[in-house]
Amino acid sequence: MGKDTKKVSGTIDGRETSVPRGSILLRAALDLGIGVPTLCHHPGLPPDGNCRLCSAETGGRLVASCLYPLRDDGFVVQTRSPLVVEARRFVLGLLLSRAPADGYLLGLAGEYGAKADPRLADGADGCVRCGRCLRACRAAGSEAIALVGRGWGRKVAGPFYEPPIDCVGCLACAQACPTGAIAFSEEPRSIWGRDFGLARCGSCGAILGTPGELARSGVEVTLCPSCRRREYSRAVASLPPAQS
Amino acid sequence: MTRKTIQVTPGRCIGCLNCELACASRDWGQYFPVGSKIGLVFFSEGGQVPVTCFQCDEAPCLKVCRTGALARNEATGVIAVEPERCVGCRTCVSVCPFGNIAYSRAGRRAEKCDQCQGAPRCAAACPSGALRYVEDEEEAKARRRAFAESLRQAVTVA
Repeated sequence: MGKDTKKVSGTIDGRETSVPRGSILLRAALDLGIGVPTLCHHPGLPPDGNCRLCSAETGGRLVASCLYPLRDDGFVVQTRSPLVVEARRFVLGLLLSRAPADGYLLGLAGEYGAKADPRLADGADGCVRCGRCLRACRAAGSEAIALVGRGWGRKVAGPFYEPPIDCVGCLACAQACPTGAIAFSEEPRSIWGRDFGLARCGSCGAILGTPGELARSGVEVTLCPSCRRREYSRAVASLPPAQS
Repeated sequence: MTRKTIQVTPGRCIGCLNCELACASRDWGQYFPVGSKIGLVFFSEGGQVPVTCFQCDEAPCLKVCRTGALARNEATGVIAVEPERCVGCRTCVSVCPFGNIAYSRAGRRAEKCDQCQGAPRCAAACPSGALRYVEDEEEAKARRRAFAESLRQAVTVA
């Protein structure tokens, strides 16, 4: 489904545009300066279409714009039609039921008049099940966590709901989480119910990372960045290596 | 576009730290040397060397980045961070042999020198010529070679 050189033309919110065939709708809209709310979208990760906030209307139906490729000439897309606004309000209500205190969602909820559903209050654990954490985990080189279960009971967890054995403690998942729902500690390092030892710089004792993190990077590191700088700077200045 | 590079001449450095000030003030608006992407390394024996990213041809940071957050501008040869794409795995920080890329927990991204997109403040602020923003030597050499070749051809044809 790669892009080819042929261009397709159409309109987004009435504005004419011409993009390479197969371009993603969300990208095309943003390039036109049309604001589309997103939550599970992360520019560095593959799109997943989980949150449905970026929904748009084309051909009388709703599509997730972060996944929808523009393939045919004459496309007509609406990003704020009544159908879209109604869908977005509903989706915001569901997302808010999961993360009622999230500032970004509350802002959008105010704009769209959405409210958390009180019947779903028992699931308000802060996590909106968007899967950004697991995509970040995979991108970083591990596959420690996954979305498991179905329906309202679906949640992000390690295998068998145990602390994930493949986790190296790099915290990429926590950074990618749009609602800050993943609890972690930088030092001492812990996340997903696991504690990690920290490798330290052989010269100054600064934290290098967890052993798993360093192994995953594929190079042997014994010095922290600033001590690495120091060592080669000494070489540049024709000085012998520093004694630790 | 000609490739340019920040040429460092350690012997000319007077240790004034203007480069760190100029660099940090861009992103932080204040003298915050920890946030500077160029740093002076001082030696107990005396002397100092200013160090910043070399924009390696075979860049380990670029190789390990899986989200495309680190990308090289093919026109300038400069590797820059696109913060929105960074997932903060910090692998690039581990693999840089020179310690010239850092991770900012506050900014939630890797941070490195991008040569201020063509007008490095450090070089502009350097009073002694230790940092100069010059045409890439290899590039200059290649152009000299091309020039010599064109001369040779001119001579041969004539």
